[in-house]
Order: sequence, then C-alpha cells, then structure tokens
Amino acid sequence: MNLVRSWICNFPEPQKTSITDALESASLAKIRPALRLLEDLSADQRGPILNVELLSTFNLEPVLPALQLALNCLPSRACLQLGPLDAIESHISQRAGAESRKPLHARVIIWRLEELLPEALYPFSTGFPKQLAARVEEVVQRVERVVGLHQTNAHGVPLFLSTIAFPVNFSNPVFAAQHRAGLFSSVGRINQKIYELATDNKGVHVVDLAAWAAFEGRAHTDATLDFMARQPLSAKGQTAFGLFIARSLRPLIVPRRKALALDLDNTLWGGVVGEDGLAGLKLGHEFPGNVHLRIQRELLELRNRGVLLVLLSKNNEADAREAFDALPEMLLKWDDFAARKVNWNYKHENLRHAACELGLGLDSFAFIDDSDYEREQMRQSLPEVLILNDTPDPLHTLRSLWETDAFDSFSVTDEDHGRHRDYAVRAARDVSAHQDDLETFLKLLQMEATIEEIGPSNLERVVTMLGKTNQFNLTTKRHSRAEVQAMLNSPGSIPLALRLRDKFGEQGIVGVVLAIPIGQNSTLAIDSFLVSCRALGRGVEDALWTAMIDRAARQGTRKLQAEYRATAKNGIVAELYDRLGLQRVEQSSSSIRYQLAPVKRRAFPSWMAVTNQSNER
Amino acid sequence: MNDSDPLLRLLIDFFNLPPDTQPQEINQKSVSSWDSLAMVQLIADLQGTFSVDFDLDEIGALRSYEEIHRTLSRKGVPSLR
Repeated sequence: MNLVRSWICNFPEPQKTSITDALESASLAKIRPALRLLEDLSADQRGPILNVELLSTFNLEPVLPALQLALNCLPSRACLQLGPLDAIESHISQRAGAESRKPLHARVIIWRLEELLPEALYPFSTGFPKQLAARVEEVVQRVERVVGLHQTNAHGVPLFLSTIAFPVNFSNPVFAAQHRAGLFSSVGRINQKIYELATDNKGVHVVDLAAWAAFEGRAHTDATLDFMARQPLSAKGQTAFGLFIARSLRPLIVPRRKALALDLDNTLWGGVVGEDGLAGLKLGHEFPGNVHLRIQRELLELRNRGVLLVLLSKNNEADAREAFDALPEMLLKWDDFAARKVNWNYKHENLRHAACELGLGLDSFAFIDDSDYEREQMRQSLPEVLILNDTPDPLHTLRSLWETDAFDSFSVTDEDHGRHRDYAVRAARDVSAHQDDLETFLKLLQMEATIEEIGPSNLERVVTMLGKTNQFNLTTKRHSRAEVQAMLNSPGSIPLALRLRDKFGEQGIVGVVLAIPIGQNSTLAIDSFLVSCRALGRGVEDALWTAMIDRAARQGTRKLQAEYRATAKNGIVAELYDRLGLQRVEQSSSSIRYQLAPVKRRAFPSWMAVTNQSNER
Repeated sequence: MNDSDPLLRLLIDFFNLPPDTQPQEINQKSVSSWDSLAMVQLIADLQGTFSVDFDLDEIGALRSYEEIHRTLSRKGVPSLR
C-alpha cells in the first residue's frame, strides 16, 4: 500500500481516502465508488492515457474493476480492453486488421497451467513422462509463436507475457518435484522460455506471475470462484493482482528516479561519527552492523545499475572522509557518490545544488534519512523529491530499498552502466573546489565558447532555459517561444546564445542574452541575461557580455540599460552588473536599475577560446 | 443508509443503489445489474469482507439481502448476529 500512496500523492484527499479504503478492504463495493470519484478529476490530475489490451486463458472479466483502479493509481487514464477468453492467437491475428481502433500502449497476456497444459496436473493419465514432456515442448513452441505473431501484427506495441504460476490445487506435490517431466519442472521449462523471449526481443517484457503468486501465497486463490466462473482469484488476490500488473506496466509511463540522496550517520553505518568516533560506529557482519552493511550493498547495486548516489550529510567533511577511509567494512567508497554535500547547510539546499551540478530535475531524486526532522523538512521544501523511508529504523530503511518502485525499469542499458562515470566528469568540472587558483583551473578545462545568434537551430533550448533557469538569471522573465521570436524580429535587437565545450566534451547552450532597442537615442535594454547552473563560475557570463557589448558598440549603441530583479533564488547575481562596470541609477527593495554609457568594447576572458559566429545580421 | 448494518451497506455500494434502499428491496429480481458476472464478484466480495467460505449449496441461495444475511449469520459472522 505504501507504493500506491506514493503513486496517488497528488490526488485530492477524498480520492486518496476512497482509493486507500478500497484497496485495503479489497471490496468491490468500495472499488466502484473509488472509480466513480476518480472521474471527477481533470485529465491532468488523472495522468496519461494508457490503452491496455488483456488476453487471458482464464476469465479476467470479474477482476477488471480492481485492475482498472490499480492502473488509475499510477496515475493513468487507463482504458482496458479484454480480448475473448482463451483465444490469444486468433485475437492477435484479427486485431491487426482493425486499424480504426485506438492505439495500443501495451498488450498483456496472462496464461496459466490449467488451460495451457492441464495434462501436467494428471501426469499418469496423460502419458508421463514421455508424452507429457512432448506436450511441454508444444507449449514452449506455442509461446514462441504467440510472440512472433504479435511482432508481425502489432510491431512496436510493448508485449507483456506472464509467467506460469505454480498451481495450488492439485494432488501429490511431493512427486511433482521429483522428475524432469514433473509438474514443477514443466512449469519451469515454460517460464524459462518466457524469460528467454523477453531477453532476446526488444519490447517483450515479463509479468512474473509465478513470482507474484509465490509472494502472495495460497490466499490469493479461490477454488470456488474458479469452478463457478473460471476466475481463480480471491477478493484480496484480485486487488493484489491489479497492483502487481500496474507496477509491472508503470515504467511505460513513469520514468524511474535517476538519483538517490542519502545521509551517513545511522544509514551507512550505525552511530554518529561526530559523537561516537570511528570506534563507536557499527558496520560489519554482526548484528546490527550487518543491517548497515546490507544497506550499503543495496546502494552499491543501485549505483552499478545507473542510479546516481548523492551524499547529504550534516558533518565535518574531514570526519566523514576519515570514516570512509578507515572503516575496513565500508563497501561504498567516497568516489561512488556522484555529488557530495557534507556540511552544515540545510539538506534541501544541498540537494538543490547537487541537482543543479548534476543537471537533474528535483523530481529525479529519491531521499533517505534517519532523521524525522530532515525528512519532514525535505518534504515541505522540495515536494518533488520522493522520500523512501518514514521511520529512523535502519531495517525499515533497508525494507524501503527492497520494496520501492522508484528505480523500476525494464532494462539496464550501457548508458546506465556508464552514468556514474559521466557524472564524475561533471564533478571534475566543478569550479567550487578550485577557488584557490581559479584561473589556472579554468585554463586546464580548455574551454571553447561559441557565440551564436539565437535562431531556429537553438530557439527551443533558449526558451527552455528562459523557463527553467532560476539562479543565474538577472530578470527571470519566462518568455514564450512567440515572445522570443518577436524579439528576434525586432530591428536592432541583439539575441545571443553561448555554446560551451571543454576537454570533457560538449555542454551545449549554457548562456543567453537578449538586448532590445528602446526609444530613439540608440539605447539598448537588456531584457534577459542568464547562465545555466551547470556552467556557473567559469566566466561564461563575461564572454557572453563581451560579445553583446562588442556588437552593441559596432551598431552605434550609445547607452545600455539593465536591471537586476531580485527573486528568492537569484541572489548570486545581485551584484553582477556592478562587477561588469555598470552604474546604478535607481534602486528599490526588489530591483536595481543600471546603465552603461558610453558603450565601450572590452576583452574576452583569457581562460577561454571564444569564436564569435553571431555577426551575420 | 444504515451504517450499523455492514451487509446492507456493502450491497448498496456494490450495486450502486440509492442510500435509503431497504433490505427487503434488495434481491436478484429487483436489482437489474445483479447478473451472473455480478454474482461471481459478489461472492468474492462477501467471502473477503466477512472472512467466510461458502459451501456450494449455499451459493445457490445467495439471491437476496435476506438470504445472504441468513447464510452469514449461520456461519457466525459476529456483526450480523
């Protein structure tokens, strides 16, 4: 239920309560009102459209409301289409011709042994072992044919194949385990084929019904309902099945979290390094240090499959570093973290800075902390961040890592494997660590800036930057594409973008300046001036400003007007125009107006090679 | 709606009946949506909600509030005694 609560966290309270009540009670009498309440929400609140086709060898019709509710919780506007009972191949073939139907986002095939291979339930009545083994191979071939048929007739539609759950209603389970043609081995053979098909075919995924049924146990089934209606799931089984299918499909519409921010004390080890000292920390193969060791194992696994780890710790950095170096059982190394913020600042501010350095949105982050206070402050300050644990208990933290779906994905790509290395490169670009000899460091980065005219090739990126840049943004004007286009069309305007590369690679457009003519006296006003946070502190603003001034001087500008408009986030540029040599002419609590007259050309920064391609207008 | 009668409440919600529906009004003949599919779903719901398993001969009798109430009471469901 914790997963569902996180899925529906943005729903209004009445819907949340109704859904939670419905799923906990597993009662259709509560599921139906919950479904009706969901219809009151707007399309935006309800999530993306998700058209799912279900094909099954048993009767799923009674289960549809539970399945519908679970998929709606993702959230999604799920539309379920149930194919005819036990007619998988003919339906796939026929549907191919029906082009007028709505597009499919997923096809799910659920099958079970009772229909696929009923002989396995009565081996001695059906030619055990030889004949039965041959029948198993026929089923394996059938499964393969179904995938081929789908690929031919519905190419590009993700296909979800269920594995075969072990039956619970049959006799002699002891014997079923003794022979390669026995029931359990037969199920295993078919499932093995299903896993292979998913491995070898892009867009084919597994809904592991066998694993799910094992987790759920016998209580998910109901023999009475199976005999009555060929529907084998109990009421609780139906909602659990719905949630299981929903989670299996979720990566189709919800991207996984890319980073996990976590604290040190009482998470990576037991105890507080600043108080207990190294000798007092608990980490190792004995209880309770083994819980923390297992947490580290899980975190290392996440890192190795492409989730970035970010360290957020209120500690002296030297103490934390010493613990990493000195504790022999530490699995995680200092460099396993793509960003480290070990200081006494607010954790939400540290996380915001880390997100900026890594070029990730806040909604890419999950967070773990043993402190109730820190979790609550993170929840209040950055609601986009998903908080995984909700108590200080380390075992609970470990469980939250086991149970979370925040990092669910269908596959792990080469890009995922290399992600940590890529972000280590980003960290190597971090100028804040080299303030002692900044100019030397900046020269070592071998930066090459290209000044471009804003136009069709970069307009999209410029509009995105205008919409998202908060820190280095002098006026924070959120112009639309049409508004920027109007400025480009204005005679005498100077719309420039700066593209940066360094020895680590291409950074793309990282700076924008928009200057527009006003009045009749050859005056230009700076409408917008912004630099992406991933390029802060590297003198990008100097290069861009110099290029703009150069152009302004050449087109005869006599006076330049500029403004700093204060926001909650752009304090770092409060004195930029002073540094660039402009004079203050007017000041209030929320803004400072500047001017520059005469407009004199200035030199480009010495640590950066600048190519100016903007002089074509 | 009578909140003290969990069966009545369940049937009203299940079939989306008016809140003031009386127990004697709830039977398979008078509730149009009470078809064979609803029957399967209702049995699952009753078994889950009241933690009971129906015998085969009981299932055939579950066709009205009264009959369901009688069956559940016979099975010792505490809230219906």
